Amino acid sequence: MDGGYNNYNSFGGGGGGFMAGETNSPSGGKTDNRDNKTLRPVTVKQIADATSPYPEAPYQIDGAEVNNVLFVGQVRNISSQSTNITYKIDDGTGEIEVKKWVDSATGDSMDTDEKGPGDGKMEVVLNGYARVFGAIKSFANKRYIGAHSVRPMTNINELHCHLLEATAVHLFFTRGPPGGAGAGGNAAAGGDAVMGGAEDYGGGQNKALLSVSPLAKKIYHLLKTEPQDDAGMELQHIASKLNLPTMDVARAGEELLNAGIIFSTMNEHTWAILEY
Amino acid sequence: MSLQTPRILPSHLNAFHPSSSGQRSTHTIRILGTVSALRGDHATITCGKNGDVTLILKPDSHLQMGKLIEVVGKVTDLDDGQGLGVRVLGTTDWGNPADSDYRTYEQVVEATHRFKSIFYDAE
Repeated sequence: MDGGYNNYNSFGGGGGGFMAGETNSPSGGKTDNRDNKTLRPVTVKQIADATSPYPEAPYQIDGAEVNNVLFVGQVRNISSQSTNITYKIDDGTGEIEVKKWVDSATGDSMDTDEKGPGDGKMEVVLNGYARVFGAIKSFANKRYIGAHSVRPMTNINELHCHLLEATAVHLFFTRGPPGGAGAGGNAAAGGDAVMGGAEDYGGGQNKALLSVSPLAKKIYHLLKTEPQDDAGMELQHIASKLNLPTMDVARAGEELLNAGIIFSTMNEHTWAILEY
Repeated sequence: MSLQTPRILPSHLNAFHPSSSGQRSTHTIRILGTVSALRGDHATITCGKNGDVTLILKPDSHLQMGKLIEVVGKVTDLDDGQGLGVRVLGTTDWGNPADSDYRTYEQVVEATHRFKSIFYDAE
């Protein structure tokens, strides 16, 4: 009885904890920036038009860094090699090569698509539509997609939805959030508008701002828009402007200070935006 | 520059005809419709409430009546002077038209032309 219970403990507790740590490290450890781990719906033309500010730099679309992309298109060519399968994908806006590495360990699972007869449903077929999820790569000046997944797509609504989604995301990055009246309204409104309001802010602070509380965003916005001298604004002044308790403003200010978005000037309760 | 095939509705056929004033780099388009008639090497697709389009089929085209298909083809004159049609380069069968709302496609066409920069090169 006792032994069994102990066994259970060591497997459940110890084993589980270790596993969790293990699965976390590959995704967290490899890349420099967690915020890069976005998955953006795009068109093939957007991939072709993506810019890279300097060699080896992450690609940018509409000025926003992209890491993983998601797109749909018709398969125009499939070429199977021993280490990878290369697809040519055409979505009507352009064509791009997609390489899916064959993992020898899972070589004959449903993930790969040997062209032989099989379960036709899970197979990517020539001239059929496929949905691709992968990262933009380049080799010898030629852009291609290093695919994590290539799977057949059989519902046309998914195609249409994707094209509209890609448009919506493009508009989000180029014009800001939907329905956002002006910068003034954004900060005060909740939810999406606040997220999008960050659009108007400086590039470097964008990311940092996304992770702070709505109140902190509000303070940032006030500091950004309110006429002030070099010393910035004082805590009491901010609190009265926003009509909020001093305590709350102090806490949110702390958040902005810690995030490196604002800095204290004359004393610890006078803040200005840290521009860089 | 790779081949681009803009998604259109029947009313846009004119703009993609080779003789149209704009110097388009492409007359190859995509259009979505339900197969409503099959006559030898011709077929008709019905594009929601946007009218019909006559297709000139390839010998190896296999269309089925009543299916929703996406056509990639070139805008061309019909032989008998009956206006414009599409010479089929390829078709994709999307099954039952009832599974898809044509209005979604109309929105897609609208979006792809209004926000052209992410879909097609400027003419």
